[in-house]
Amino acid sequence: MTPVIKAENLTYIYGEKTSFEVAAIKNINIEIQKGDFVGIIGHTGSGKSTLIQHFNGLLKPNSGRVLLDGSDIQESKESVRAARFKAGLCFQYPEYQLFEDTVYKDIAFGPKNMGLGEDEISARVLRAARFVGINEELLSKSPFDLSGGEKRRAAIAGVMAMEPEVLMLDEPTAGLDPRGRDMILGLIKEYHEHTGSTVLLVSHSMEAVARLASKVLVLNNSAVAMFGTVSEVFSRGRELMEMDLNVPEITRIFIGLRDRGLPVAASVYTNEQGRDEILRVFGEVAP
Amino acid sequence: MIRDITIGQYLPGDSVLHRLDARMKTALTFLFVIMIFFCKNFLSLGLVAVFTLLLTVLSKVPFRMMIKSLKPIFIILVFTAVLNILYTGGGRELFGFWKISITDKGLYTAGFMVIRIICLITGSSLLTYTTTPTHLTDAIERLLSPLKLFKIQVNTLAMMMTLALRFIPTLIEEIDRIMNAQKARGADLESGGVIKRAKALIPILIPLFISAFRRAYELAFAMECRCYHGGDGRTRMKQMKLSARDFAAAFCVALLFGGIIFLNYKFKALI
Repeated sequence: MTPVIKAENLTYIYGEKTSFEVAAIKNINIEIQKGDFVGIIGHTGSGKSTLIQHFNGLLKPNSGRVLLDGSDIQESKESVRAARFKAGLCFQYPEYQLFEDTVYKDIAFGPKNMGLGEDEISARVLRAARFVGINEELLSKSPFDLSGGEKRRAAIAGVMAMEPEVLMLDEPTAGLDPRGRDMILGLIKEYHEHTGSTVLLVSHSMEAVARLASKVLVLNNSAVAMFGTVSEVFSRGRELMEMDLNVPEITRIFIGLRDRGLPVAASVYTNEQGRDEILRVFGEVAP
Repeated sequence: MIRDITIGQYLPGDSVLHRLDARMKTALTFLFVIMIFFCKNFLSLGLVAVFTLLLTVLSKVPFRMMIKSLKPIFIILVFTAVLNILYTGGGRELFGFWKISITDKGLYTAGFMVIRIICLITGSSLLTYTTTPTHLTDAIERLLSPLKLFKIQVNTLAMMMTLALRFIPTLIEEIDRIMNAQKARGADLESGGVIKRAKALIPILIPLFISAFRRAYELAFAMECRCYHGGDGRTRMKQMKLSARDFAAAFCVALLFGGIIFLNYKFKALI
């Protein structure tokens, strides 16, 4: 099966040929399969945002290429434009992109740019709004009258309404309270399960990635440090900690337990797994 | 494109020009600009051009940066040259067909104007290249302080200028971000006619204004929290002092002025 996104030797340099030259990403090779939910983690400045901006053609790599469904994004002007709709990208703090006089029109901005008919646009807007929990009476309001969390969800709906094959979200929960955070993460998960589309989630929160993602991509110093299933990556919790990355609380506890000589598995990353693992170990020791 | 704007850009350095007192530098630059318009022939303008070149070398500002500051006015230069060539009357005709005639006087005038504008921009760019925005606004504040007599709040004006300069890079970053966000939603900013392009700016300008206002409010609160209450009675951490160097600079400019007057009267005027 052709991967939905394939990056080949992707390199991007900021400020090329000036004294400020910095490689934002170096020689990245990854394949993302259709339907994957990939969590992307790494420090600030590790190249996460730069990487995903290559997947919808916003940035043009200095060398290497990105294949979307097997064809090069940067092939022509048309292919770049097509990539915008195929791989929908929702930036950090997306509420600052709202501009229309009603929420409806703002969500419709993307589908309209795709050149869809009125009926299709309205169907998509309603679908996306329902997904993010924006009531129909809110749709006729000005986006600037919404609350912070509602604005964020309306902005995410604006990207969802394009119904992209790949949905990419850059820190969608930044600056939200725990309730808003859980709500956003919940709706992203639901979107993934419901539509079966590929989702790329850039996040600082290891707990969120551990809970939602099927695969994890770890970037460190502009290069891929690890890429694999969640259990593969979190079983290398010690390496993650050496990169100064947070690992889920429960993983840290189990690394500590192993250090103290308890024969527990290394790849524990959810609380449920932790409970089962403890039961298993003690079941063996004291039946 | 946005990154080509060099107005108000400061290039850190340690040249003689960098070390001059900002007040003196601003006043002298002002005089220099006026002097450029006093030039009446190529000899006096040549003197100004040599002086400008000398200052550029003294400032150790890379030549590349100087060219960059001239880039935005390139079209104005071309326009000025063409208009002067075509519409200056009198002189000996060098080339003519139909209604167009190009005279030697037209060519001279065009050259004169172009050199004048280049000197003007280069000279004033040198001020911002070698003076930090803070020093510059301090200087302007001090130089304008006589206006206090007319109840004009010079302090407030200076603070407004400082803030405006401070937020140029921030807003450029913001524009970049908003543009990317809208492009990701399929906004097409590059194709179409004038009207379509102007319309395409709406999704960028509205969020930009909203965020600019938001920043302004936040900044105002932050300033009030730190007890800012206008400029009255504020003292300075860094006192500005004139030194021998500054008087020497003033002397050089006075000399230049003398030279210009002399050359103007000694030789025939061009325009």
